[in-house]
Amino acid sequence: MSGYLEGVLVLLAVNVVFAYGGFLPLAAGQLNLGLAGFAAIGAYASAYLSNVFKLAPLVAIPLAGIIAGAVALVVAVPVLRTRGIYLALATFALGQIVQAGILNLEVVGGAAGYPVAAFIRLPTIAATAVIVVALVWLLFATRFGLAVIAVHDDEGAADLIGIDVRAFQIAAFALGSAIAGVGGGLYAHHFSFIEAQYFNISLSITIVLYVLLGGTQTVVGPLLGAAVFTLLPELLRASAHWRYVAFAAAVIVIMALRPEGLVTGAQLRRLFGFTRAEHVGLPKERTG
Amino acid sequence: MSATDPILRLESVSKHFGGLRVIEDLTLAVRRGVRTALIGPNGAGKTTVFNLITGVFPVDAGRILLDGADITGTPSRLRIRHGIARSFQNIRLMPHLSTLENVMVGQHCRNPGLRGVLQPVNLVPRNRWREAARAALANAALIQYERSTVGNLPYGVQKRIELVRALMAQPRLLLLDEPAAGLNPAETEALQAQLEKVCAGGGLTVLVVEHDMHFVGALCEAVIVLDFGRKIAEGSPEEIRHNLLVQETYLGTPAAEPMEQHRAYSA
Amino acid sequence: MLGSIYAMVAVALTLSIGVLRFLNFSIPGLFMIGGMVAWASLLSGMPWPLAIGVALVAGALASLLVERFTWRWMRSAQHFVPLVSSMAFLLLFEHLAVIYWGSELRTLPALFVDADWRIAGLIISLPQLAGLVCSIALIWVLTLVLLRTRLGRGLRTIAEDSNTALLLGVDINRIVPLVFLTSGLFAALSGVIFALNYRQVQPFMGELVGLKGISAMIIGGMGNIWGSIAGGLIIGLVEVMSIGYFGADFVDIAVYGLLLLILFVRPAGLFGGALAGQRA
Repeated sequence: MSGYLEGVLVLLAVNVVFAYGGFLPLAAGQLNLGLAGFAAIGAYASAYLSNVFKLAPLVAIPLAGIIAGAVALVVAVPVLRTRGIYLALATFALGQIVQAGILNLEVVGGAAGYPVAAFIRLPTIAATAVIVVALVWLLFATRFGLAVIAVHDDEGAADLIGIDVRAFQIAAFALGSAIAGVGGGLYAHHFSFIEAQYFNISLSITIVLYVLLGGTQTVVGPLLGAAVFTLLPELLRASAHWRYVAFAAAVIVIMALRPEGLVTGAQLRRLFGFTRAEHVGLPKERTG
Repeated sequence: MSATDPILRLESVSKHFGGLRVIEDLTLAVRRGVRTALIGPNGAGKTTVFNLITGVFPVDAGRILLDGADITGTPSRLRIRHGIARSFQNIRLMPHLSTLENVMVGQHCRNPGLRGVLQPVNLVPRNRWREAARAALANAALIQYERSTVGNLPYGVQKRIELVRALMAQPRLLLLDEPAAGLNPAETEALQAQLEKVCAGGGLTVLVVEHDMHFVGALCEAVIVLDFGRKIAEGSPEEIRHNLLVQETYLGTPAAEPMEQHRAYSA
Repeated sequence: MLGSIYAMVAVALTLSIGVLRFLNFSIPGLFMIGGMVAWASLLSGMPWPLAIGVALVAGALASLLVERFTWRWMRSAQHFVPLVSSMAFLLLFEHLAVIYWGSELRTLPALFVDADWRIAGLIISLPQLAGLVCSIALIWVLTLVLLRTRLGRGLRTIAEDSNTALLLGVDINRIVPLVFLTSGLFAALSGVIFALNYRQVQPFMGELVGLKGISAMIIGGMGNIWGSIAGGLIIGLVEVMSIGYFGADFVDIAVYGLLLLILFVRPAGLFGGALAGQRA
């Protein structure tokens, strides 16, 4: 496999992991603009663990994910008391604080960045991505998935059905952050150098945008979003900055025309199950 | 506790929003197993009563007792565990879930804890919860819609799906907020049949807020009338029809004819 | 001084949020456009009044572009869509700037050399003062417009309830572009003032400065113009104090920490009433 192809696939795998980090809270109806901050926690924690404690990356990275998730859990309780736009802004502030905090941590290099000794290759990264996708898919095939979507659609009704809305929102937030942390760890151990400046609001925005592009109604959407974001520019041989321009333009257009994203739940159901009620002629009844 | 004890009691319940007193010192009882209607002109506070019973709003005064247990302070999320389920005036199904998934969500309270949350309902084809939900849909003659996006379905079908969802919690008390509103005669009949079937087993008490008097007369055995947040009358549908005070409330002036002639406009 | 720049950005954001209930994330991008176009114009030899004018026009045009593609198309769609599209526009502007001008930090020529007043031992730089005066004057004019004119009343009506506004004959389709135009101009102008005073621009300057404007708006109170101004000044103060006590490294932590605190304790901001009908 050529170095170039390997590089692209690594990027794809990392972006896929990030995408699912963003998907979890979005599926529950929350916009986490501090994703990059949790990715940073994962990156730096895993790097520190493998550099200083000489833990194998395959141990350090999941551990770092847990750390990121734990931090998210702690902040989730106050943060998730806010709603809607306030929540998005609180997570934004969170991400900025993490980034600024890391810049001041000399023990991990501060503003100069932090080199990472251990190195992992595509098979490891790809396998991790596959595991993450599988886990999220399995999770959403359980009642957890039903509850999260119910919370997203109608908090009030979900509450009266007996769903602990807050608990699920916190769980989605923490899990998503943990996954983002794992993504950060993967990134750190392949690109061998991390700096706080990379984990900025632009990164959070970008991740959120490609998740929304793919669609948050199904578990497959984020995968597609990450794939489009990573692969399409390669196919078009776009430069580093034109790819962002094209991506941003694509998001704007898609949000205008099809805000649910590329993959919707109804679409998926149609693909995998013939919905007789909609296709066979029923007596023309009033709708709504 | 005898079988004729009320399953639901409201004792001197009051609720106001700002300066507006919506419910004023309301005392009522719903007898076990008796299909009861809660009627009253618009603004009488009927939906607010439902919101108080389900805990959406806290009461400002008074108590709510379910089967003798004081649930006045119970959080809304837990009331379904006590056996109260409801449907809504404007349908509140989850638009991003299919019909079957909506119904499965209704089972949530019967599947508590981490183990319940991790039930693979959408993964394993023969999962018992999924099968139970499918059976419920089949029972209500709605199985053909199981994979449909609920938002695209006819209004009457959505209403019946919401009813099935409420029933999945196996409630003791089912609150239905204007279940016949917006239904055409055929749909209303289907709804009535479904409700009668459901109540036939016993063990379920139904409290219905309705404007359609014909529906109330056909389905309900007891009627409670509200106006301005107070109970002004109660009795059998027949008694209420001839109650002059009730007629005055609805029509403004004492009516010569019984209320059966007055049928709410169901669009 | 920086505080007044934050304040202007905050005002631009407030207009959007207050009237349209729309957190316009592209505003930091418009800030950058103002600053960089000013630099580019100066570089090409334009006299500075013209350069400022061009920068403002660029900002206004960009703002209208955002309006076209976020608000106009999406009134009925899900509520987060305009916010998301505005974030995409931010990315768009930033990366277009990098493509066009490169990502390095650029310096502006000093326009007002030695233009400092010395009063009672204090040194007041003239450009800074001019910027400050300009900001305050514009905000004051804006407040007047909002309070005294028909247009202003129309804006406030839309802020309360857009349906009622329609019923009352307020021409939303004409007012909305105006709101975008004004907030765009404010953002671009604050970028220009920043560029002329601090003499440094780069494509990502919106993230450094503009985002603090968002914080200013929230701290001061969303939807409240005077609150935003107060918020901007408070942030400026916090920054100066944190530099003094903790060193320059902790500035961001202090500012965003304050933001977080406010969001937890008093999301409406220090001076804001709760935004009516906050959608979840």
